[in-house]
Amino acid sequence: MSTILKLFVFPISLIIILIGINTILGGHITPGGGFQGGAMIAAGIIFCIIVYGLEESPIKISHNFMASLESAGALGYVFLGLAGLVFSGFFMYNLGVDLYHIVPQFISNLFNYPDPTHAGIIPYLNFVVGLKVLVGLSAVVITFLESDKLLGKDEQSDNIFGEDEQ
Amino acid sequence: MIFYLGPLILGFILGFIIGTRIKPSPGSKLKFDKEVYAVIVIVAVIVAFWQGPFPYYHDIPLASGFLAGIIGIILGKLTLGR
Repeated sequence: MSTILKLFVFPISLIIILIGINTILGGHITPGGGFQGGAMIAAGIIFCIIVYGLEESPIKISHNFMASLESAGALGYVFLGLAGLVFSGFFMYNLGVDLYHIVPQFISNLFNYPDPTHAGIIPYLNFVVGLKVLVGLSAVVITFLESDKLLGKDEQSDNIFGEDEQ
Repeated sequence: MIFYLGPLILGFILGFIIGTRIKPSPGSKLKFDKEVYAVIVIVAVIVAFWQGPFPYYHDIPLASGFLAGIIGIILGKLTLGR
């Protein structure tokens, strides 16, 4: 890639990531939510990986990090759903943030989204979905880029049809 | 002026997670020093100001989650992204 791209892509990808974070945070009242915001964050990461290459990319995502973050996102989603099942009898029931007055008031105020919609657990579902999607989409690209290394191929075997060069 | 803590906390966590992954490459000739991050912060503040008080429309005249995200990225880079 050219030097101009290498100079500009990292700052721009950080701005793209921030816009993705903003999309996740407004997911309960605006179009787009956890999936779309997570895809935008993944786009910033993929932008860096494509321009700088997997080895020199300033945003480095390891396999352990991907596995742990995706597991945390999935577990958060399941726990939020189970909370609804436990306290109301319906899986993924929107309990709000006070959980039937069990949670202390100051914690409830801390996590309350006091907008006119009273979204309850929806912003937190968007958050955990965003975690899963940003890792999942990044993992697809990283796996494709690492496929040569995983399959034991060298750079000269790029001819996917197996034909001889003439 | 009201500070809604929900987007601040979640934006900071997401930014922190990304910031911990920003690490220098030993073999690379490109170095992103503190000047680059200063420019990113300035651009982020301008973008947040243009976005207005998203997503709650009643608090400070900046996108507070956006700013929390850039603060999280910088702190994550400074603490664990080395």
